[in-house]
Amino acid sequence: MADTRYAIPFDELRLDQVELVGGKCANLGELTQAGFPVPPGFAVTTAAHDREDIGTAVEAAYAALGHRVGRTDPPVAVRSSAIAEDMPDASFAGVQDTYLWICGLDAVLDGIRRCWASFHNPEAVAYREAHGITRGGMSVAVQTMVDARVAGVMFTLNPVSGDPSSIAIDASYGLGITVVGGEVTPDSFLVSKVTREIVRRQIGAKEIEVVADPAAATTVTRDVPEELRAQPSLTDEEIGRLAELGRRVETHYGRHQDLEWAIDRHGDELFLLQSRPETVWSRKARAQPVTGDAMAMITAAMTRGAVKPKQ
Amino acid sequence: MTEARVATTFQSPFDVPTPSGAEGWEEMYPYYLLFDPERREAEEHRFWFYNGMHFPEPMPAFDMITAESCYLSIGLYQGRVFQIPTVLGIEHRVVNGYVYITSNEVSDPDEIAQRLEVFLPRIGFYYENWDMLVGRWQAAVDKAIEELTALEVPHLPVLEDEQELLHDHKLGSNFRLMTAYDRCIGLYNELNQLHFELLLLAYGAYLTFFQFCQQAFPDMGTQVIAQMVAGYDTTMFRPDDELKALAASALELGVDGAFAQGRTPADVLAELEGSDAGRGWIADLESRKHPWFFMSTGDGFYHHHRAWVDDLRLPFTAITGYIAQIRAGTSLDRPKDKLLAERDRIAAEYSQLLPTPEERTSFDEMLGLCRHVFPHAEGHKFFIEHWGTSLFFNKMREIGAVMSENGFFESADDVFYLNIHEVHEALSDLGLAWSGGATARGAVYWPPRVKRRREILARLAEWTPPPALGVVPEVINDPTVQLLWGVTADRLRAWANQTEDEGVHGYAASPGVVEGVARVVRDVNEIGAVQQGEVLVCPVTAPSWGPVFPKIAAAVSDIGGMMSHAAIVAREYGLPAVVGTGHATKMIKTGDRVRVDGDHGTVTILS
Repeated sequence: MADTRYAIPFDELRLDQVELVGGKCANLGELTQAGFPVPPGFAVTTAAHDREDIGTAVEAAYAALGHRVGRTDPPVAVRSSAIAEDMPDASFAGVQDTYLWICGLDAVLDGIRRCWASFHNPEAVAYREAHGITRGGMSVAVQTMVDARVAGVMFTLNPVSGDPSSIAIDASYGLGITVVGGEVTPDSFLVSKVTREIVRRQIGAKEIEVVADPAAATTVTRDVPEELRAQPSLTDEEIGRLAELGRRVETHYGRHQDLEWAIDRHGDELFLLQSRPETVWSRKARAQPVTGDAMAMITAAMTRGAVKPKQ
Repeated sequence: MTEARVATTFQSPFDVPTPSGAEGWEEMYPYYLLFDPERREAEEHRFWFYNGMHFPEPMPAFDMITAESCYLSIGLYQGRVFQIPTVLGIEHRVVNGYVYITSNEVSDPDEIAQRLEVFLPRIGFYYENWDMLVGRWQAAVDKAIEELTALEVPHLPVLEDEQELLHDHKLGSNFRLMTAYDRCIGLYNELNQLHFELLLLAYGAYLTFFQFCQQAFPDMGTQVIAQMVAGYDTTMFRPDDELKALAASALELGVDGAFAQGRTPADVLAELEGSDAGRGWIADLESRKHPWFFMSTGDGFYHHHRAWVDDLRLPFTAITGYIAQIRAGTSLDRPKDKLLAERDRIAAEYSQLLPTPEERTSFDEMLGLCRHVFPHAEGHKFFIEHWGTSLFFNKMREIGAVMSENGFFESADDVFYLNIHEVHEALSDLGLAWSGGATARGAVYWPPRVKRRREILARLAEWTPPPALGVVPEVINDPTVQLLWGVTADRLRAWANQTEDEGVHGYAASPGVVEGVARVVRDVNEIGAVQQGEVLVCPVTAPSWGPVFPKIAAAVSDIGGMMSHAAIVAREYGLPAVVGTGHATKMIKTGDRVRVDGDHGTVTILS
């Protein structure tokens, strides 16, 4: 019988429940059950989409979440999770809404309704049309906020060169929204999956950060102190931990991933905020090296013009 | 990395001024090695780079044969034997005593395709029969070395020996002297031909694998590619291993006290002669010398880089250092097993990351071929550049001694200030005068010229050769040039545009990042000054620098590519290395605190 619940905690969800909870929540459930450090949360299901009577179910789920993390009205992120979102063929990245540092039941319910509204906004409609997505319905993810000292994104391949042996990490101070939204030039690190070495590091300007304002139960944008801007936002040890997390998630799914992560300000714990299949290189016809036996390969190497300057 | 396609022009070879006091340097070299004003237009529009990796000093007239013989052999195999599709051969010239080279490349696609028809079956024969051919190669090298060792250099007697001439029917001493010289040159050329017979094929396999990796894994560091192929061949490290064994033996026999920094080998040996245990150690030394002490203190390209057998300073300095390390409990073992295990893990993981089975199969096959053929590239040096070349120069010293006895020279080593053709002429002069009962003109002709040439070379040694001359081409096709010298069009543009405040950049040759105190060492005989944990900064390293590697934290060189000696040895010892920096020895001073980043090829001067 079809699950008709309105709210389901992540640790009861699996990847195959996309129809019920959308791509993002299904992935978060899968990762939670696989033991990855996903901040706890719950999905408001597609069965609840645009319904008035969700109050009781959300209240219960939010209270259970508060009980679990040990505080009343825990700050959460409220984010859309459409059926076709965060799946291998389409990311929907950035098209639909995200509300950060939401505290209290009324604010959570308001966030959920605003996400529903975003389902009908012109960008989302246009994206679905452009990608030929006809399946309807939207779920909403309600996830505990990490009070991030540093956060960002990670690809389990080099998004620029397509190198499958690299892990690319972008990082900046505060919540990851500045990195995802392109509001800062983040630090950028490239790590080899095989040698585990940091093969490239670029320090970004990181002029601003978005941090929690607990008193006002919201987030604020502030300047990053000058002396911190020139410093890397991650230590080598943290970069190593992140890359290892990326490798494990990639191995779990058996394909390249695009992850969001955060490191908690208190205790340096690393959290995986979401993971979805990488969509650009996975679908691109890549330039495959010449294959064949040794002589065929030598022929190619010896006739193509052995060493050309990079253009 | 994006880069505009701009032609970069270096100084014209015809506009390089002669350093003051070195006027007339051209006279000591054969005419065909000088830039020719009648071909100025063509020659100055070509691209010439300074081969400081092999020839870091100005060339004494005779020593120029080391370059000539190499390029005779490289071109032979590139162009006339294997017919490498994109390369005819390498030309060389001398400018202010320094060797500049250029590749003659083929760019016409039809011609490349035609050449391929010959190339494939010929290299196929080699790769398919590799082990047999390595055996044939070793036998030929052994034979040439044996003949060179046994080659008789006759003195010129007042009266020929009755037995030899009347009964044994030998050639006269004057003829035998000239024949000995010709044979000496002939055997040296033979060794050089052997030098390149298999080497180019090893590089060809390596280059193919290299290109595959760069396409499949664009971010893969070139040092990782080298690391996957490395065979950690034992031949190159064997002389160094003998020194370690001698250090252990000195401790076991309780004669280690005789070794101390600052003592000459003569001091040490004199003390050891005074005891049974000491004489025991000397016997051990003698048994280990042959042939491993035919290691040159250089790279086998200059007569004055004596082999260890002739100059015990370097091995004794190294033994003294090893004794100190054993006493301090430091392991002298290279972590070979660990390196091989890591090499195999890395290769297996990269193979697994390839998205298709065809790519995995090709990767594994090409890596397999590289690993099969590459140990030869690592191991050949000892036989050719060290053992064979040291014997060759010593045989020339015997010939020089005969000329010296007859008044041509003050010392036997003066023979190295005549070029190979002049030696031939001088021997004719000497032979004629001896048989004719005359006074050879050479006795008055050569001494002032040798004196002048020594002065010229001293002036030229103070001069800094520019890294390149002429015009940088858009594409460099010669695989050898890139792998061995680290010369790519990119790197040349960087050299051309390098200014002092940009820091030191080169090839990331061996991974890791290390900070330490720099020790600039320009000559192998200064390696005794290197302290434990320092960063070695040198013009170029040769296998004889091996003993310094267990001591250092990282290596930086002016010249060299991924397959250069410093790169190979640094990987073997697991030390970070940056090679081919162009000018590290000028930018960095002994005592500077530096950070060597072997992952990115940068060296930062911290203070």
